[in-house]
Amino acid sequence: MDSSLPLLVAVLGAVLGGGLLGWSFRRASQSPALGAGIGAVAGVFGVGLFMAPLNFCTFEADRTTADNVFGVLLIAAGFLLIVLPVRWVALRLAAGQRLIGAQSTPGAFKGTVLPWLFLLPTLTVLVLFLYYPSFDTFRLSTLLARLGTPRTAFVCVNNYTRLIADTSYLNSLVLTLLISAAIVVIGLVLSLTVANFAYQPIKGAKIYRALLVWPYAISPAVAGVIFLILFNPTGGIINYFLGSLFNLKIPWLNDPAFAPWAIILASVWKSMGYNILFYLAGLQNVPNDLLEAAAIDGANALQRFVRIVVPMLSPITFFLVITNMTYAFFDTFGTIDYLTGGGPLSSTTTLMYRIYQVGIRNNDLGKASAESIILFVLVIGLTYLQFRGGERRVSYGA
Amino acid sequence: MLKFKTLVVALLALLAVVPAFAQDAVDVKVWIAFTDAGRLGWAQERAAEFNALFPQYNVTVEGYANYEELFAATALAAEQNSLPAIVQYFEVATQDARDSGYFKSIAEALGDRTEVNGQAFNLDDIIGPVAAYYTLDGQFTSMPWNTSSAIWFSNMTILNAAGVDAPPATWDEVEAACEKVMALDSAPEYCFTFPNHGWFFEQWLAQQNAEFANNGNGRDARATEVTFASDAGVAVLAWLDDMAQKGYLYYSGAQGGASWSTVDQAFSSQQVAMTAYSSSDTAVYTQVGVDNGFEVLASFLPYNDDTGWTGNLIGGASLWLVNGLAAEVEDGALTFLAFMTNTENAATWHQTTGYIAIRTSANELLAGEGWFETNPNFSVAADQLATSTVTSATRGAILGAFPAIRNVVTAAVDTVLLTDSAPADVLAQAQADANVILEEYNLLNAE
Repeated sequence: MDSSLPLLVAVLGAVLGGGLLGWSFRRASQSPALGAGIGAVAGVFGVGLFMAPLNFCTFEADRTTADNVFGVLLIAAGFLLIVLPVRWVALRLAAGQRLIGAQSTPGAFKGTVLPWLFLLPTLTVLVLFLYYPSFDTFRLSTLLARLGTPRTAFVCVNNYTRLIADTSYLNSLVLTLLISAAIVVIGLVLSLTVANFAYQPIKGAKIYRALLVWPYAISPAVAGVIFLILFNPTGGIINYFLGSLFNLKIPWLNDPAFAPWAIILASVWKSMGYNILFYLAGLQNVPNDLLEAAAIDGANALQRFVRIVVPMLSPITFFLVITNMTYAFFDTFGTIDYLTGGGPLSSTTTLMYRIYQVGIRNNDLGKASAESIILFVLVIGLTYLQFRGGERRVSYGA
Repeated sequence: MLKFKTLVVALLALLAVVPAFAQDAVDVKVWIAFTDAGRLGWAQERAAEFNALFPQYNVTVEGYANYEELFAATALAAEQNSLPAIVQYFEVATQDARDSGYFKSIAEALGDRTEVNGQAFNLDDIIGPVAAYYTLDGQFTSMPWNTSSAIWFSNMTILNAAGVDAPPATWDEVEAACEKVMALDSAPEYCFTFPNHGWFFEQWLAQQNAEFANNGNGRDARATEVTFASDAGVAVLAWLDDMAQKGYLYYSGAQGGASWSTVDQAFSSQQVAMTAYSSSDTAVYTQVGVDNGFEVLASFLPYNDDTGWTGNLIGGASLWLVNGLAAEVEDGALTFLAFMTNTENAATWHQTTGYIAIRTSANELLAGEGWFETNPNFSVAADQLATSTVTSATRGAILGAFPAIRNVVTAAVDTVLLTDSAPADVLAQAQADANVILEEYNLLNAE
């Protein structure tokens, strides 16, 4: 590595940050010099956010091109992470606006000390058990570290860049997206259908509704055990019935073509209760006069459902897509662990399950940390995309 | 009102007594990787007996779901300085246990003593293969407790119906028996199965006198490379692949710790006629036959006809003494270790589970009672080990990150059984992957 590189990058950060904020301040009719000053400082901190702790290791002489590219990306990401929030804060402050929206609602706290005091217990817990471990994950992800081994070794960004060439990781990534999409789509379609039936005014509807919700109350591990008994290829109940009815035997758990479907079915069943609950509540908010008007205009039941009920439920569907996505990414772990253990042929090794295999089963904390940070960024990105894309199509009513 | 008063008095009395008890007895915590009533329960009963015998100690036994979880819990406890006095580590974690620095060897803790608090260790009484495994650099390192070997269980009711009189002893005999079994009108779904656990690959490798790792299987010096992708290793995978393609071998798709229960289910529901398994469950497997009306016969694990049989290795786990304990806790822990593995307890532990009775005296005691004559299945594992030739291959490999490397091996078996890939290629790739893991482990741990 050229020893002048850190200086060069810092100057670049200062110039870019100063330029961006100077320009922003001028457009907002504020002093460009002040903006440029703040921007330059923020820019230096930004480019150094990841690189300073890493000591610019990605640009050492014996590093691969992938490492260099990753280093540039890290510099850019750090720059944006610092400069953009600073720009927002600086512009508001310069314009004399408060940072937190004006609190004129009745019953809101007037001072600043008391509300923070009330927030303190929650913040303490969050910092100790969520934020600190998260930051430590970043540090761990640059190490070769094993559980039960006191010594560690710094490996720069190897834990990240090695994944580019790791086909099993890429398979796992694609698989996770496919399984998640299937769980969300199949789960929501089935739930809406069932909720619509359960919503009909029939005798004992309340009992049906209660029974439909209870799978949600079962832990993923118990669901895994139930489906293990159902799907078992040799002695399972499902194959027993398929065998006696159609003379069919499906190798649910020991064939890579079927095992993901076993996971999807079990997960859908598990999350359906939750989805149905929300759809039942949503159905009660669909105005009856709209449906009656449509009926008078000659729309049949299917048309009324597709044209009126489904659009009216879009806020709930949007909410459920995000919760189900998160469920599919993180909470299918228990079901996978009991049902397939990630196999056969890694056909049910989702990214989340892989992190467990690498970090706990193989004790490789560094690699597992790197993979969990990638998963974290991935889920944030997906949620952001959903918010961007979803908001336009969601109708929150008049 | 009177009742309420009595209750308050009783509570106060209890509060006064409890701390007094706690102050007197030295706490000795034991962590083991069993949660079932048979094994955790047995250990807790021994702890209760021990506490009654030695009121100055309070031994508590806590169970963890499996070896891996216990391993993780131990590492975390070490970081927080809250290690118990005794931890159970499975045999392949032996190198990790040594490198961790958490533990002290039994020999070192004993020093010149041969007994603690009147409880004799009699380390010479421990049977050969077991003592050989846990003797490292000439020192008795950890206390063996649950020791098993891989053996073969046959449903003789099915085999006899197919005209097979005795369990197969070799791979060719397995195939011949399977041919007959699967020709039955009432043939089971598959002929045999095995748990896809790294241990079985290691057993079949050792039988052919092939080492798993270099430097004398890691016994002469720290292992720096694994060598399992040898002809012997490929032969194991090729045989399993051949049996699967002929429709004889049932593979449940489960790997590692999860594989045991899938085999239990297939054997007890008679979906298969034979299986490889650990002798640790001899009691359960024998009883399954009694409960479901078929005869279960245990025998040596079948071996490769082409290379012959050298011997089999042990499995199971041992009890490690934590380093840096207060003197009275260490003495309490040593006393309990000696008590828990004494002749009587070694014998009842064997009878309850099927793990080998690790003491010569315990085997003599059992033989004297006629136990092996009435329960022939229970002598198979001990006989298999006793007739094994001790070589560096059959003593078993000692290497770092072995649990992670096992996962690489089971994934290779999985790939061979479920795809058309050639066993030699798959195993060569697995060996390369395992070597990366071992290299990284040694980077952090080698002096």
